[in-house]
Amino acid sequence: MKDRKKPTLWEMYLTKEIGIEFKACLYFFAFLFYYCMFRIINGIYDASILHMAELILICYAIGYVQVYLLWNFDESDKLGGREVFGMIICTAVYCTASWFCDWFSKNIPATVLFAAYILLVYFCVYLIYKYKRIIDDKKLNEDLKLFQASHKKSE
Amino acid sequence: MKTDILKINEGEEYIKIRYKELTPSIKRILGILDDAPDKIWGRTDAGTVCISLRDLLYLESVDDKLFAYTGDSVLKIDGSLNSFMTAFDDGTFFRCSKSMVINVGRVQALKSLSSNRIDATMEGGEHIIISRRYASEFRRLLKGDRS
Repeated sequence: MKDRKKPTLWEMYLTKEIGIEFKACLYFFAFLFYYCMFRIINGIYDASILHMAELILICYAIGYVQVYLLWNFDESDKLGGREVFGMIICTAVYCTASWFCDWFSKNIPATVLFAAYILLVYFCVYLIYKYKRIIDDKKLNEDLKLFQASHKKSE
Repeated sequence: MKTDILKINEGEEYIKIRYKELTPSIKRILGILDDAPDKIWGRTDAGTVCISLRDLLYLESVDDKLFAYTGDSVLKIDGSLNSFMTAFDDGTFFRCSKSMVINVGRVQALKSLSSNRIDATMEGGEHIIISRRYASEFRRLLKGDRS
């Protein structure tokens, strides 16, 4: 009877899938910003569609790796060694892809700065999720107090 | 079990129970006669005891055995988590995982965890994780819209 409201395996899979889509979009736009800045600084005022396609596909693939293999590190409760390791692995994959896909014209300083930028983005996303949970804590505890008060009254 | 009900017009009303073993059904009847339907019987090292449901912090099923935890004692209860929820759930007990039921009235604090899980700190200080599968239903329960 109460199981009706329990999410099914399909719904749980879908929630995870939407999470990956969201991650792919989030990181794609963050990295696209860096890519566009690099182009503008170098006097190029258009972006390559091929580069953007490569970027979104890699963001999508790494989203899967993050969620299924690397402990979903950007949403973790604490930033420990395991999470930092995940961040470094993903950063290395992005940088390697940027090098071989020629996003930054094989420019070493731009690639190194891109690595630093990715780590900063990961850290910011970690903080966003952390503060989201802190706000959620307050809401949960408020609801808990209301629930307990209403049940005490009805006893 | 045979029942013998007799309506009387005079004399003192009384109920006599004849049993061979103190089964859960007998205990439940005794609980009702004791004018305490919110009580549960369980076994501890000291013997069979009866405690109020309000004193329970959580119940855990381990190897098909059901244990009830209060702040200072552990009772072995007859039945399963499902039968407990069917018989005693008054809206304050919540199935938080496959093997656990918590008394929401005795939760001290809640903490939101990653992957939509919730950490419930009980009055005794124990931390119980409400799994992702049950967390959304728990949120609905707190908001009072669980059917």
